Amino acid sequence: MAKSGQISGHISLLFILLSLFSFSVCIVLSETDTELISALVSLRDRSPSGVIHLDDHSLRRFLNPSSSRPFSIFLFFDALQLHDRSELHLPDLKQEFKLVSAAFARHHKGKPSETKVFFCTIEFKESQSTFGLFGVNSLPHVRYIGPNENPKTSEAMDQSEFARMSDGMAAFVHSKTRLEVGHIDRPPMVSKKQIMFLCLVFLLSAPFAIKKVLAGETPLHEPKVWLGFAVFVYFFSVSGAMHNIIRKMPMFIADRNDPSKLVFFYHGSGMQLGAEGFAVGFLYTIVGLMLAFVTHLLVYVKNKSVQKGFMFVAILVSFWAVKKVIYLDNWKTGYGVHAFWPSGW
Amino acid sequence: MATLRDAFGNVLSVFILILIGVLAFSIRLFSVIKYESVIHEFDPYFNYRVTQFLTKNGIYDFWNWFDDRTWYPLGRVIGGTVYPGLTLTAGSIWWFLNSLNIPLSVETVCVFTAPIFSAFASWATYLLTKEVKGVGAGLTAAALIAMVPSYISRSVAGSYDNEAVAIFALVFTFYLYIKTLNTGSLFYATLNALSYFYMVCSWGGYTFIINLIPMHVLLCIVTGRYSPRLYIAYAPLVILGTLLASLVPVVGFNAVLTSEHFASFLVFIIIHVVALVYYIKGVLSPKLFKVAVTLVVSIGMAVCCMVVAVLVALVASSPTKGWSGRSLSLLDPTYASKYIPIIASVSEHQPPTWPSYFMDINVLAFLVPAGIIACFLPLSDASSFVVLYIVTSVYFSGVMVRLMLVLAPAACIMSGIALSEAFDVLTRSVKLQLPELVEGTASTAEDTPSGYGSVQNEAAKSESSLEKLDDSLRERPSRKHRKKEKENVEKASSKPRKEKRLLVLPLVASAVAIFLLIMLGSFYVVHCVWAAAEAYSAPSIVLTSHSHDGLHVFDDFREAYAWLRHNTEVDDKVASWWDYGYQTTAMANRTVIVDNNTWNNTHIATVGTAMSSPEKPAWEIFNSLDVKYVLVVFGGLVGYPSDDINKFLWMVRIGGGVFPHIKEPDYLRDGQYRIDSQATPTMLNCLMYRLSYYRFVETDGKGFDRVRRTEIGKKYFKLTHFEEVFTTHHWMVRIYKLKPPKNRIRGKTKKSKSSSKSSKSSSIKSTTRRNPWH
Repeated sequence: MAKSGQISGHISLLFILLSLFSFSVCIVLSETDTELISALVSLRDRSPSGVIHLDDHSLRRFLNPSSSRPFSIFLFFDALQLHDRSELHLPDLKQEFKLVSAAFARHHKGKPSETKVFFCTIEFKESQSTFGLFGVNSLPHVRYIGPNENPKTSEAMDQSEFARMSDGMAAFVHSKTRLEVGHIDRPPMVSKKQIMFLCLVFLLSAPFAIKKVLAGETPLHEPKVWLGFAVFVYFFSVSGAMHNIIRKMPMFIADRNDPSKLVFFYHGSGMQLGAEGFAVGFLYTIVGLMLAFVTHLLVYVKNKSVQKGFMFVAILVSFWAVKKVIYLDNWKTGYGVHAFWPSGW
Repeated sequence: MATLRDAFGNVLSVFILILIGVLAFSIRLFSVIKYESVIHEFDPYFNYRVTQFLTKNGIYDFWNWFDDRTWYPLGRVIGGTVYPGLTLTAGSIWWFLNSLNIPLSVETVCVFTAPIFSAFASWATYLLTKEVKGVGAGLTAAALIAMVPSYISRSVAGSYDNEAVAIFALVFTFYLYIKTLNTGSLFYATLNALSYFYMVCSWGGYTFIINLIPMHVLLCIVTGRYSPRLYIAYAPLVILGTLLASLVPVVGFNAVLTSEHFASFLVFIIIHVVALVYYIKGVLSPKLFKVAVTLVVSIGMAVCCMVVAVLVALVASSPTKGWSGRSLSLLDPTYASKYIPIIASVSEHQPPTWPSYFMDINVLAFLVPAGIIACFLPLSDASSFVVLYIVTSVYFSGVMVRLMLVLAPAACIMSGIALSEAFDVLTRSVKLQLPELVEGTASTAEDTPSGYGSVQNEAAKSESSLEKLDDSLRERPSRKHRKKEKENVEKASSKPRKEKRLLVLPLVASAVAIFLLIMLGSFYVVHCVWAAAEAYSAPSIVLTSHSHDGLHVFDDFREAYAWLRHNTEVDDKVASWWDYGYQTTAMANRTVIVDNNTWNNTHIATVGTAMSSPEKPAWEIFNSLDVKYVLVVFGGLVGYPSDDINKFLWMVRIGGGVFPHIKEPDYLRDGQYRIDSQATPTMLNCLMYRLSYYRFVETDGKGFDRVRRTEIGKKYFKLTHFEEVFTTHHWMVRIYKLKPPKNRIRGKTKKSKSSSKSSKSSSIKSTTRRNPWH
């Protein structure tokens, strides 16, 4: 009790003027608050990025539901078993979360706001009941638990913000706490030493490279390399691969009605799947390659029957490819080729 | 005999080219025939208005034009913020025709500028392809580009936008570059710079040229193809081109300050270093040269490093590293989706899926690889350039569907080359073997060698005549290098000629292949005509619909704009969502608050906020902006889907982005956007809802919205601060007038009087500080 009396000295005068009952309640609460904060700070100092790893037990301790807290918690829900699901980007997002935490710690170092916000993660296997408590059934998920909020009233970050990675999270932190996160410092792709080393290598190798170039002995002087490259870029682009990269489309998806079946072709023109794109890109490219083969290579063959055989194959393949693309386009977009014939203006 | 053949060939090509021009022009007239001679969509109306101003007031006034009809009260400096190429072109055409006493209206000239320039573009494509692979390929490519759907979509009659002239400028600049490269003539180099200047005047896409040509130069240097011709083709372009480009106000110092242009300067330095090396190599003995190389290389490296360091410092000092968002999203395709939602959200900037290629370049997608391969056999400076062009443009088109337009000429050139080469081989096979077959059947007893010889003769004849034609066309311009180059060409061509004599394919197979290729070509024509007639011709200002009782025409937009023009004061301000800003200024000649040049987000957000607010605050906002009339577009009666109610969430979002008291969730019921009885009260009370659905129930008694396919939520209500002044025939445009403040005083309590007084005083005050939201 003596200790509590000591601490009560820290409490502002206003509180002392309140009724005795509430006074004692205040003492008890403030004691746990300061304890909690110091526990959190020590936990935070242990991790390099300042993100605290919690489990069911420790979370319940910090989220004493009975009253308000002098701090707020941003909770990142993690699941190790889902880390290999590339479409969820859980490891990346966790890394981004750590970046935000580190940026916040750097920005608020030594300020009173330092202990206002804590960044925590929780893992599904260890703490399933917390997931149930917050009603989290899909990942990624970041939740804000404010000073006066309990698991029921806490707010989840908007799913669309995940696309902006750490910027989205920082905006979320800012909108909820009115505290600036500060500049998010990403570790550069290559460190300074590596850059120096690369520069040195470049400078040293440049004379040799230039000599090679002047002598014309690089693979770049081989037109076949360029030819292959050009055709590949063409194939890559017309297959809509850029669409798949930007939209992060999978190669195929499971059928909604029958999960054991795989769907390779998506119905509807706004979207396409990876395998579908490459298949059609292949069809687009093969016709041109066949035509070039016939015009530029087959003419040099002396044997007539070989020529006949190859031409037969080439014509058949090209015809099939064009027909297939027309069919697929009709199936996908509903556009059938028909002539324009006005019945009247 | 040979000269006669040449002359005949030339006349025939000219005749074919004229036909191609007619084709390119006439296939784009579907919009005029099916609808009428009218300017399309939104941006063209702005260009049209600028052209009108230019023809009326002259070039100097145009250059200094401050437009107070738009972005009220801010205005816009038109002369310094538009690419003037299109306007100047149409203005000159109009002036020229008028001075010939052909009194065409400005509108007519504007409507037909795009088709005329597509004819020019197909001729430019012919020239470019001819430089690369000869006349046959050129004609085929020109025929293909005359009707490629991707280009038609931007250049139908009435689509009076920058791209209409820019594609011609693009292809023509490339042609002049190749021409200079092939001839080494300074005359063409100068023309090239001028053509580049025209391109800079016309379209922001000029950065594609100023990056592609340096890339090609670098490629030539790296692959050991440096020549003085390359130097002449490149150095004047950079110097003259950059100087000229900075004359265009909208580009100005960007021509030397932004990263889009740095590649050209870097390559400019490199080509000088290389030129020096070649010069020294020519002067010195091989041994001395080796010493010199090390010297020059080290000095050159030092200079390069210094320049690079300066550039890096310059670039690093700017926040976006000197690149504009659009260019960055081309280099790193995932950039836009991460950082710039405005760019990512525009439908033109989406990455295309494979059906887009089939729609926009159709069967050319099949032929391009063959063209690429043909360009490598043999690889020349010119053919390497078109390969580079197709590779970069096809990559860019994969990132943004809009850049399909840049891909289209390249695809046409490549397909033209492929088709021409294929027809060359196949028809030769038929031509040389058919007589043999006929003779064989006619007299089996006759010796084969004689028939064989005749075939040989024939082949040789046709080969040599073809080459002559080629030579004469290729060589004419360069008197200086004529002899030298001719020797080269002949040396190169004499070898394949000997081999080619017997290069034939089986007769029947060739005939089948020719037939299939012609089928492919006709498929292309059918598709293009359909695309031109059905898919890309709707002007979107006049709408039509076919129903069981015949054709319906919806001309409500022009009806509304004409009403505004004739029934309102000249200085009245009209507020509408920004989509209709250009049209209002151009057709109604009234001042608007925001328009399609979305340069000021806050201003747009103010209008968005007003539309999303209840009547009173909305009235206050509009009154503070001196607005007299509010225009809304409503499609609920006729089922026109792109009306303001469907765009309304964007108004809320944009408004809420600047004024946080507008919150999107207030307008959504459980995350769903709805206007029926389940809609939120905020939604049912906002200005946009009230102006759209005012008196709507009187039309059918139920208030059934045919776009949203539901009955509206609030059917009977009165407007307090606005009065309906005009509604068009099909209710597609509704115009409301702001009630004057004094009307609100009558019959109200003292309190409201005083409040209205205060609002009156604020409106007086607002003449000095127009917008209270700032």
